[in-house]
Amino acid sequence: MSKNIRFTRTTTFAMLAGASLLLASCSGGGNSGNGASEGGSASSPGASSPSASASAPESAAASPASASQASASPANASPQEKVTLSFWYGWTGPEGEAIEKLIKQFNDSHPNITVKGLSQSDYQKQLTAITGGNPPDIASQFGQNVAAWGTKGAMIPLDDYIAKDNVDLNDFIPGALVSSQYDGHTYALPIAMHFTMLFYNKKMLADAGYSAPPATMTELKEYAEKLSVVQKDGRLEVLGLWPGIDSYTFSQVYGGKFWDPDTKQVTPDDPGFKQAVQFSKDLWDKYGSENLDRFSASLGKYQSAQNPFFSGKYAMTIDGEWLPTFIKQFAPSLDYGIAPIPYSEDHPELKNAGNINTSVLYIPKGAKHPDASWEFIKWFTDKQQLVQFTAALGNLPTRASTLDDPSYDAVPGFKEFTDYAKSPNLKSFPSLPFFSEYSDALTKAVNDILRGKTTIDDGLAGVKKTIQPLVK
Amino acid sequence: MSTRTLDRPVKQSTPRQRKRRIFWTGAAFASPWIIGFLAFTVYPFFGSLYYSFTSYDLFSAPKWIGLANYRAILSDPSFYKALSNTFYMAFIAMPIGLVASLLVALLLNLKVRGITFYRTLYYVPAVIPIVASAILWTWLLNPDYGLVNIVLRSVGLNDPAWLLDPNYTKPSLIMMGLWGSGAGALIFLAALQGIPQQYYEAASIDGAAWYRRIWHITLPGLSPILLFQFLMGLIGAMQIFTESFILGGGANSGTMGGPDQSLFFYAIYLYQNAFIYLKMGYASALAWILFVIVVLLTLVVLKTSARWVYYGGD
Repeated sequence: MSKNIRFTRTTTFAMLAGASLLLASCSGGGNSGNGASEGGSASSPGASSPSASASAPESAAASPASASQASASPANASPQEKVTLSFWYGWTGPEGEAIEKLIKQFNDSHPNITVKGLSQSDYQKQLTAITGGNPPDIASQFGQNVAAWGTKGAMIPLDDYIAKDNVDLNDFIPGALVSSQYDGHTYALPIAMHFTMLFYNKKMLADAGYSAPPATMTELKEYAEKLSVVQKDGRLEVLGLWPGIDSYTFSQVYGGKFWDPDTKQVTPDDPGFKQAVQFSKDLWDKYGSENLDRFSASLGKYQSAQNPFFSGKYAMTIDGEWLPTFIKQFAPSLDYGIAPIPYSEDHPELKNAGNINTSVLYIPKGAKHPDASWEFIKWFTDKQQLVQFTAALGNLPTRASTLDDPSYDAVPGFKEFTDYAKSPNLKSFPSLPFFSEYSDALTKAVNDILRGKTTIDDGLAGVKKTIQPLVK
Repeated sequence: MSTRTLDRPVKQSTPRQRKRRIFWTGAAFASPWIIGFLAFTVYPFFGSLYYSFTSYDLFSAPKWIGLANYRAILSDPSFYKALSNTFYMAFIAMPIGLVASLLVALLLNLKVRGITFYRTLYYVPAVIPIVASAILWTWLLNPDYGLVNIVLRSVGLNDPAWLLDPNYTKPSLIMMGLWGSGAGALIFLAALQGIPQQYYEAASIDGAAWYRRIWHITLPGLSPILLFQFLMGLIGAMQIFTESFILGGGANSGTMGGPDQSLFFYAIYLYQNAFIYLKMGYASALAWILFVIVVLLTLVVLKTSARWVYYGGD
């Protein structure tokens, strides 16, 4: 169930999580035993420079002056002698092949640089490689880790490169770009993004007498209740909407903030977020944990024809841009629609809200040829490559100028998503160095709140108490 | 080196010198292991002790903060949650597994036709890596189409959601453990065969029933091995990680610790702190607390074992 409140990940990572278990766990398991000491053996080299500049109180994003310290080494321009770069990316299978295709194009067009790709979905490996002083030259990451890794000096800031090559950061979708930035520095560039919208089963809605999807939160609740089929003993047969909705997305609906930059306070008790949790809680309590658990245990696999939305167990679902591709694959006859996330009547100005997650590329600290690495990242985030990459994966592009590219016409459902991507109310969880802790604490709290182990106020106050001390 | 010594004009070396030379030669031969042990066990061991007193994020230099990590841990609800889940595995799941291996060993000690085949059969799961068996069990325990529930339904029993229901996740792990009890059984079996046959013969002549023979001969005879297995099981259970890691979907899944944190074990929390939150100092302190807990438990078991372990001899 926590799966449903937590971030919905990309297809990529959903699939990857399954496919890469073997790899991840073998190494992960090995690490855990004496993990504490592994980093220790090699903590010395250059642990200071990037983080030093990161903590400087500058605010102008990407201004050439702001990152002067960080650029001490990569002074001269494009490399003259031949270099070979290693590139660790988290994608596997067909998605990995799409990356390899791009790598080949890059190598063909850049005689001096040879990039060697490695599908390495155990992201913790990057940590040990960086602390061990032998990192890849380019690596992929989740956007939400950038602040943590960037401020700790694991990522080389890209500010100077961006300034030097006049990369137009304004073309990046703001909600996607901010996840790669912290305290005025850009540590990575987003290459793909994800957010969720409302999917609804047209037939089930029509049978219940609805001709249009719910537009407001009140309607969403009404639809959810009316579309559910509950037996006399409380057993669920059909759910209008799974109550453990993604509280980050719905927090945006109510204008919820998780962080107050002025007072440097985490604000899990923000009224907007509270409202989102309350919405979930009301719906949850209508059925109760026991019935919901039993129901959810009976549901089929996400990536199969038994996906509850495909099989009519859910009348509506909140899901990402990859879902239409799955529907086409697993349930081609499903008559469905994609609609904006409903808005709250109290906040009509926040229509078309959503929560963005990104995948990013960065240069790890200690990379031997940062200039060449940047060359690759710059090339990869160019319009043309970005479109090729995201269209192949069925992920959303991160540059506004690519949203109307005809390459996406072939991807099912993308029209709705690329249009929605233009909404100014798409935000992302604030970029914070303690994101993982914060997010885990929120997930735990929401779980306890829904299951009645604590109240909303107590639960969220508990999060604040745990997380606020992490603010530096 | 030794040849050179031989070629030299004869120079009488004292026994003491010879002894010393033998020592150093031996040390040189053992040096690959010694170096490895120092670099990969001793150094990390004390390194983690040092880091446990620091705030260390892997990338910047560690900052000495004294006992702050330990103090924070003691008021960390997640620590207690993880500890109680882990104790469940150590004190409920592990003994169940131990008894099961013992029973299997007793069965495998029977003199029936084809016993080597059965022995092989029971040992096979022990050869399968935990990762593979965990994935296998997620299929078997699938609430809808898993074999376990198909069987349960066919005999009209309740079909729990196993790995998806917080109340059933740990029992599921116990079941997975039972399946692999052949490994422990093998050790018990070896010990069983070491119990002198004449004890049983004498007991039979005196008219002791089979259960009395087990209670008065087999168990005392096995007790040193039982102690060993119990201790190893305890230490292993305190560090349980892989099953939960796999079933929770791995490090980047956001579902680490399983449904409703029911598989949130100590080692999972440690891993989370070290490799996801990048709090190496905190993780090191957690590791040391675990180490102390394990040492204390081991001591308690060893101390009380004098009462029930029988080492034979006259």
